[in-house]
Amino acid sequence: MERTGRIGDAVPGSPWNVAAIATAFAALVLLPGCRQDEVTHARVPKQAEAPTAAAGASVGTPGLPSGMPPPGVPGAPGAGVEAPPVPRGAGALRWTLPEGWTETGASAMRFATLKLPVAGKVDVSVVVLPGPAGGELANVNRWRGQIGLPPIDEAALAAARRTLRSKAGPVSVFDFTSDGQVKSRMIAGLISTSGNTWFVKMVGDAGPVGTAQPEFTRLLESLRLGQAD
Amino acid sequence: MAKLTRTPVWEAVASLKVTITLLTLLMVLVVLCTLAQVDLGTFGAVAVYMRSFLVYWHIPNSVWSIPVLPGGALVGLLLVINLVAQYARIPLAWNKAGLWLVHLGLILFVTGEFISGAFQVDSQMAIEEGQTVNYIEGKELELALVDVSDPAQDEVFGVPDARLARGGTVEIPGTPVSLKVHRFVRNASLSNRGPADPPSLATMGVGAGVAVRELPPVSNDNEVNSSAAFVEPIAGGRSYGVWLVSSALGAPQSFTHEGRSWLLGMRNRRHYLPYSLTLKKFSHDKYAGTDIPKNFSSLVRLYNPSKGEDRDVLVFMNQPLRYDGKAFYQASFGKGDTLSILQVVENPGWLLPYISCVVVSIGLLWHFGMTLRRSLKRREAEQRAPAEGPAAQEA
Repeated sequence: MERTGRIGDAVPGSPWNVAAIATAFAALVLLPGCRQDEVTHARVPKQAEAPTAAAGASVGTPGLPSGMPPPGVPGAPGAGVEAPPVPRGAGALRWTLPEGWTETGASAMRFATLKLPVAGKVDVSVVVLPGPAGGELANVNRWRGQIGLPPIDEAALAAARRTLRSKAGPVSVFDFTSDGQVKSRMIAGLISTSGNTWFVKMVGDAGPVGTAQPEFTRLLESLRLGQAD
Repeated sequence: MAKLTRTPVWEAVASLKVTITLLTLLMVLVVLCTLAQVDLGTFGAVAVYMRSFLVYWHIPNSVWSIPVLPGGALVGLLLVINLVAQYARIPLAWNKAGLWLVHLGLILFVTGEFISGAFQVDSQMAIEEGQTVNYIEGKELELALVDVSDPAQDEVFGVPDARLARGGTVEIPGTPVSLKVHRFVRNASLSNRGPADPPSLATMGVGAGVAVRELPPVSNDNEVNSSAAFVEPIAGGRSYGVWLVSSALGAPQSFTHEGRSWLLGMRNRRHYLPYSLTLKKFSHDKYAGTDIPKNFSSLVRLYNPSKGEDRDVLVFMNQPLRYDGKAFYQASFGKGDTLSILQVVENPGWLLPYISCVVVSIGLLWHFGMTLRRSLKRREAEQRAPAEGPAAQEA
């Protein structure tokens, strides 16, 4: 036999409870809007240069040069007014110069400038920045902008990327040539090592850049970490 | 009260027809939301169709939008009201306990979605092999102002892009620095300033040589806005010039005030954690002889000095690391399989769908069990009745 008792008077059916639930939902939906634009603050331990020192002492990112913020603070080569500290010793990138090439050392934002025995306008630079340096896509699009090309998206970025093997790790290589009567060409290698991003870039008129391309590729393949030769 | 539940209004609110209509609307919304993902991306489509109260249609060639459908939030809210109202129709009896549980489970399910919609925070953590990271990054941007003067630690201040968009002067709490926002562009393309370009607002840093062109904000959540702002740091009554900051620029620019060095840069909004993850190894397994991915996994070291915790965790597909109220899912990878990207989901209501499924299952089992028992009893009674007939005749 079924009981015929109804629960119309019981708490769950009360119209006031329905109203309360509706109000609660409205509050749930509206509340998050209040926490969107407050200035946040965090005290972040700086990282020791040696990972061993950082292991027990802090919760941050080891391997960063002292005085720099944690990786991820965007960085683009040449954009800052103050050059970041340069990695030294085991953290520094090294390479084997192709025959006839010379190195002029660090200046301003550059870790090194390379001179090559090719006639015409061409410049080879090595720049290092802490962290992901703003990301691959942003940097590639900035480079493209420098030779008058429109930006590309992630899919086109993946299609444009060629990967070379080196002792310092995989090097992402991008090769872009501009339009116009005098074509500019840029070949750039991008490599991430121990919290830094390195940019090895050859840019100039399409002719001389093309001439130097095989040697530049060999230079990228020779990249390694460690002391100077 | 009993009278109230029998009023036409209550009957309408608790009507099964309303339930069916709302469930049909939900199905329509799910289909539309799925199709819209082509143009809007997953999160964009969910925001427009499921987490809104009304779905708007933009009238072409006008500034007007009109609501054309109730959104998922409104349908969910009405469904909860409808389910709660239906309690008044279910007798308070053991053999109806299953129905009570099923309704309760459904209410919990919809409530869970409201809590997720309101409080779920999606972030990312990108770690390279060997790198240690103690922050997660959101999709929104912030202007990071970092005091790097202390040799032991950095003071990091983040001004959300939403605050920059409001303009005016932003006081940086606890510091003498304030930032005057001269211009904020939600989405911009940057290029080297040519002779035809107007003079830049920036008087300091790289921005003086950069032209900023405004672009329409992206509508697809697979794309990101490249925001830019012209800000003027003012400290101790002194202006440090107008600087261009943008997520498309990179290197943080710096100024020095009374011996303290400050870095300025636009980046994804960052939330620092009291613990860190180190990526020890990222694995990208493929089926032998093919490029078809078989498995992605990240072996990470979880280090939390405040709890004395230091352990290795393997994060792989559908097997997230759940820690500190957050779930770290294996989401993506890059840089020749040396970079792992973890999707970090913080959702205080993440257990509710599971609980509601269990409650609904128990309710259904209970209800079907009761129905089966009643049906078996009835059948038994029917079988007994014909058997008794002839016997009685024989007697």
